[in-house]
Amino acid sequence: MPPQAAARAESSAEPLYRSQLLPNNTAQSVHSATAAEISGGRLRAFWYGGSREGAPDVAIYTSVYSPRDGAWSPERVVMTRELAQRHLRRTVRKLGNPVVGRDSKGRLCLYFVSVSVGGWAGSAVNLVVSEDEGETWSPPRRLIASPFFNIGTLVKGAPLLFSGGAVGLPVYHELLGKFGELLCLDSAGGVVLKTRLSWGRSSLQPVIVPRSEKEAVGFMRYAGVPPNRILIVRTADGGVHWSPPAKTALPNPNAAIGSALLADGPLLLVLNNAEENREDLSLAISEDFGNSWRIAYRFEGDSGSPQAPVPEYSYPWIMQDRAGDVHVLYTWGRSRIKHLRFNRAWLERRR
Amino acid sequence: MSASDAFGLFGCGLASLAAAATVIRLRRLPVRARYAVMLAAALAVFVPIGELSIAAWVRGVTGDLSTATLVLAGAACFTQVTGRALIEPRDKRALCGLLALAAAFLYPFALGWTPFDPYALGFGSVEFITALLLITLAAWAARLNLIVLVVIVAGLAFLAGAYESRNLWDTLIDPLVSFYALAWLLAGVRRRPSNGLACPTASV
Repeated sequence: MPPQAAARAESSAEPLYRSQLLPNNTAQSVHSATAAEISGGRLRAFWYGGSREGAPDVAIYTSVYSPRDGAWSPERVVMTRELAQRHLRRTVRKLGNPVVGRDSKGRLCLYFVSVSVGGWAGSAVNLVVSEDEGETWSPPRRLIASPFFNIGTLVKGAPLLFSGGAVGLPVYHELLGKFGELLCLDSAGGVVLKTRLSWGRSSLQPVIVPRSEKEAVGFMRYAGVPPNRILIVRTADGGVHWSPPAKTALPNPNAAIGSALLADGPLLLVLNNAEENREDLSLAISEDFGNSWRIAYRFEGDSGSPQAPVPEYSYPWIMQDRAGDVHVLYTWGRSRIKHLRFNRAWLERRR
Repeated sequence: MSASDAFGLFGCGLASLAAAATVIRLRRLPVRARYAVMLAAALAVFVPIGELSIAAWVRGVTGDLSTATLVLAGAACFTQVTGRALIEPRDKRALCGLLALAAAFLYPFALGWTPFDPYALGFGSVEFITALLLITLAAWAARLNLIVLVVIVAGLAFLAGAYESRNLWDTLIDPLVSFYALAWLLAGVRRRPSNGLACPTASV
């Protein structure tokens, strides 16, 4: 399990911190952003949007960020319910979370949730692949991850590459229980192995951050009895075995988290820094790979910052580009996706 | 259409036909009417109405069905059309018993109730393949040919890439056939005191 794509170039020496809302001329409600760096140092983001979460008109959207212009392109649709239904040759009622990553051939792989019957407990995960940095996509294929009608599986955390070329996809199950797993996908995108990260009814949305081929740490959203804390798991054998989930000192209001290990640097975690609501979105830093944490900055929730119509800042996605800058995307008031970009110099002032 | 899509739609359509034929008790009709009804039902199940066929709708709900379901559904269709039973009650009792045991082992754990995940064993683990081989050999020795047939068809379908899944469990068992097996066994137990039979005599 190799480290994530490492940033090799140095960031600008001057502190940089920029924030902007992604374009949204289409959907009343948007949620669950994900992004990958594409050619030219650009960023391609995906999210889902529609009249409301779970509505039949929800589609997966994409937009491209150019660091040179500092602007996002107008959004366009990548996947609709109708398109998924036609290609998957089965009924599809609604679409959900997307996550994007690359496979060993360097292709962009977009995994997205679909539901045929019922609520999110009836979810399954699908995969589309792009060989041209997200301009065009293959027809979707269904991933088989559960023996129970293959339902109850969702995605939120970033995929990672194993040293042998297989893709590791963190998933979680929401049928009767709530628990995390790590799927192993072959080059064709078929599930060929899986490992349980947790069990029971209180852990979901795993995010896995590798530090070496053998060592990785994972964080999970907590949906159990108080105290409400982010859960942590660890592996020291390349993901074959994982430690039992343990509560960290960081709070979690039953909300998704994002995490990334910076090249030659600290471990970052974006979280809702409260036990009860999603009105505060903060950045936590760990210098010892997750053993101890310090809240370094509050992105949202300060009285001085502009408030969204609905004060909810959630589902963060964090990544570092090859130039060394860090990007955070998250749901801003359920009506927009917000993008933050900062560099190491800015971060150094908060360490 | 990929091979796995075709196989998946065929399986869901076949199960739908078997259910429809059994519910309407097709074999009570005259022979020609049986064939006509079955043909009409097949058209209704497989020909898309708008964008999706009934088989595609069922597939959205159930996913691809196991070979145990396909063998039982195929036998049920045959019985309803011809009036002749294909499967001996002894064979069916053994298969349903094995399916019920497998379901009790697989589903509670696969739903995340413990750290142990038997579903992961289906990705080609030595333990799983050895157990499957031993069960098949034992069934063959006991002349329980239905179990042997289901395992052989499952193995061939798996090797041919007919399933979307790369997990052997999915070729052998699904929740639908598990519920059916359990219900069939319970029905057999319930009938025993009244007529003295160990299992239902009606077969497929």
